[in-house]
Amino acid sequence: MFEWFDYAFMTRALVATTVLSFSVTPIGVFLVLRRMSLAGEAMAHAIVPGIVIAFVVAGLTMGSMVIGGLIAGITVAALTSLLARVTIIREDASLASLYLIALALGIFILSSAGSAVPLKSFLFGSILGIDDESLIMLGVTATVTMVSFALIFRSLIIKTIDPIFHESQFKHSGFVAHWFMFLVVLNLLGSFKALGTLMAVGLMILPATAARYWVETMTGYVIVTFVFTLLSSWIGLVVSFYLSGVPSGPAIVLTAGFFFFFSVILAPQGFCLVRGLRTYLRNAVTNDRHLK
Amino acid sequence: MPPLAGTIDWPTGRPQPTAYLGQRTEFDYRFPVRVRDVVAMGAWPSLGFLGRIDSTCQDRISSALERTGIIDIADMPLQKLSSGQLQRALFARTMVQDARLILLDEPFTAIDQTTEAALMRLVDEWATEKRTIILVLHDLSAVLQHCNSVLLLGEGKALFGAPKETLNPENLITYRYLTESQAAWIENMYSQSKSDYV
Repeated sequence: MFEWFDYAFMTRALVATTVLSFSVTPIGVFLVLRRMSLAGEAMAHAIVPGIVIAFVVAGLTMGSMVIGGLIAGITVAALTSLLARVTIIREDASLASLYLIALALGIFILSSAGSAVPLKSFLFGSILGIDDESLIMLGVTATVTMVSFALIFRSLIIKTIDPIFHESQFKHSGFVAHWFMFLVVLNLLGSFKALGTLMAVGLMILPATAARYWVETMTGYVIVTFVFTLLSSWIGLVVSFYLSGVPSGPAIVLTAGFFFFFSVILAPQGFCLVRGLRTYLRNAVTNDRHLK
Repeated sequence: MPPLAGTIDWPTGRPQPTAYLGQRTEFDYRFPVRVRDVVAMGAWPSLGFLGRIDSTCQDRISSALERTGIIDIADMPLQKLSSGQLQRALFARTMVQDARLILLDEPFTAIDQTTEAALMRLVDEWATEKRTIILVLHDLSAVLQHCNSVLLLGEGKALFGAPKETLNPENLITYRYLTESQAAWIENMYSQSKSDYV
């Protein structure tokens, strides 16, 4: 049952996703709380051409991909707000247009350059793709993310709950939001190897939305999200190992999707089926007694 | 917040910490925190990046919860609060900020009468603690009862003075505090009883 443990690439993938789980948990939590789930998804696609160009020009190095991804992400974000301010279309439409163009451009360049990386693993992730360099990249990503959140956690909470208060009390109010977006891009790049460019946001958003159904405090939220993230990535990896045709991305995201529906149905702030059922039965019993 | 124009003269020569309670248009009611945490946020700006909430600060938070009358619901999640309870929590947060200068922007909109009276009493208490409070209000009777001076804004102009003298019917009409029909009605009343005012 545990023969997958003997494969070096599997242990590497497990270590990678464990580190990744620490890193993407706060990102997912704040993407959901700041109502930026869809913006995160769009950002994941927007950075694709930057990564592809960096990959074609400079090869598969961590530094070039981060720089390429950041340039593409900032370009799309800046163009989006420019179009929304100067032209007639609104922010959502301009963002959708631009990220679709960016994604298509990225895939176009990748295919025409005759890349060594198969398109399928680029889009959907591959556990085989996680090498030592990816592990180092993940370690750096997680470290930067953890240290950043230790510093900006409180500020970001106020910024999310009460932005007007935040602006009145903090000198560089805009900086926190921008730094958070930088961390989002960094973690998307970290997720690419295991999850692929199409699925990278899945491990951020789904555990965080699922966890929101169970919790009423920030501490609880972060802990439950982390547990869901970790379980999703571990179970997903093992599934992907046994079903050799299935890329790791969809396997991991589907596992997270299972936790999501599980929470929707059972959790206190979802449909709360357990309590609903109990109330229904109690009422049924009482009505029965009344009839007698 | 930088001013759009003009300067502010501080008695100490440099800007002082200012407590600010704005309107709740962008407030996120569903954020997963407890009431006590919302109140504690008043202390966060002064804590910096890594500061801890110490015991004096903890006492300040508890006393603010008590004085605003929400100590019993301190552990309730934010999303379960009523509008009045939330405003009490935000007043408590303002108290935790412990600033000499307090800005309140329309603090009693969508608030029930009991809460408004309780919160107005708190504002009076702050004044006796030698704090300066700047309120944005539409409620004339509250201004007349509680404020030392008033700045009447309207029609792109401003008038500063003592409430009783400044808020006379003539000024209220000139500064468009009253609508045309209200103005006509008041003018009618005013001309009938002009001798009372003079």
